[in-house]
Amino acid sequence: MLARCALSDQRAFDALYRATSAKLFGVAVRITRRKDWAEEVLQESFVKIWHHAGNYDAEKSAPMTWMTAIVRNRALDWLRRPREVQASDELEAFLASVPDEGPGPEELAILSARSGRLHDCLAQLGDDQKRSITLAFFHGLSHGELAAKMDKPLGTVKTWVRRGLDRLRQCLDGLDSI
Amino acid sequence: MNYTDPDIRERLAAEYVLGTMPERARRRFESQLKLSPALRAAVSEWETRLTPMASAVPEITPPRRVWKSIQQRIGGNRPAANSAGWWNNLGVWRAATGLATIALVTLGFFLAIAIEPTAPDTSMMVVVMKDTDTRSPAMTVSWEPGQARKKMLRLRVIGHAEMAPDTAWELWMLPGNDQAPVSLGLITTHELQTLPVPPQLGNVIDDAWGLGMTVEPAGGSPVGEPTNPMLYMGQCVKT
Repeated sequence: MLARCALSDQRAFDALYRATSAKLFGVAVRITRRKDWAEEVLQESFVKIWHHAGNYDAEKSAPMTWMTAIVRNRALDWLRRPREVQASDELEAFLASVPDEGPGPEELAILSARSGRLHDCLAQLGDDQKRSITLAFFHGLSHGELAAKMDKPLGTVKTWVRRGLDRLRQCLDGLDSI
Repeated sequence: MNYTDPDIRERLAAEYVLGTMPERARRRFESQLKLSPALRAAVSEWETRLTPMASAVPEITPPRRVWKSIQQRIGGNRPAANSAGWWNNLGVWRAATGLATIALVTLGFFLAIAIEPTAPDTSMMVVVMKDTDTRSPAMTVSWEPGQARKKMLRLRVIGHAEMAPDTAWELWMLPGNDQAPVSLGLITTHELQTLPVPPQLGNVIDDAWGLGMTVEPAGGSPVGEPTNPMLYMGQCVKT
């Protein structure tokens, strides 16, 4: 009985992997920008999903959101780890390697099709707000790194992010309540 | 930083999810996260808001070796005893972490997308009973459907519930269709317990709508029906 249960676990998990791994690998690659890192991230994320499936709360988030958040967090942790010990010139090299824009035009198009609300709400933000938020989302840049990357004072960038997030929330929650 | 102020909590959760928090602030935030359900709820809401941004990312099929490594890593937990853990013995449904964990739904989700249906004899009846007041999961009950005789319910009380003196907790089968609750017996506040199903209910319990729990006078309801409103209640799900 127990062995069969374990077996059906395995089978369902296999199916879960087949259904979601390409999407999640895409996210990992996008954030780490290195396939070898992304492979590690994906592997660790699925091991985590396997062990922590019980922490998933369907009332709080859709399964894909839950899994994507795990992958994204893992990928950001992965990026942060080496950077903590990086010398400052390496940090600059890293920042320089981060692409400037958030989602490209093509991605924005997909975004608008797949997640109309978020796209509409992002579109309402000022360019600087939008750019700082998408940069942070996809690359996990801290305020300081964003400021360096965008070549603006720390306080300015902080304000962009904070106001941008505030407006996003108002916009998204406002739509929610309709 | 005052984590109890809803505005500050909201802002910190947003920055945490977005990833803009400096390293030290993030570590501090994470240690608070373990302690505060409100903070976790705020984080989870922000994940729901922001994560769809990632849906724009093109799909890339990962190399086969990734799946092989994953299998190797989770395979270490088999055979059975441990890996069946979260699946079978409801071991993950505890509030030790304070998280409202509903493994059942995940389980249903895993099964729903499974390409091959699982063998019928591995199915389980599961009830996640929620506190009717706070709506948070309070107790889980599971049993194997089918066999009518010597049926055992496995109960797991989530968190550290306390029973008032001179009272009893009574578990009820809720047949559905406006039929009156039927007593299944008294239970305790122990985290893990089993309860034999009265023989005459062995067959019908598999078809019940749900289960409920009420606080009754010591010894159980003297009138054979609940004397108080349901404190915990949940719907039966066959997995």
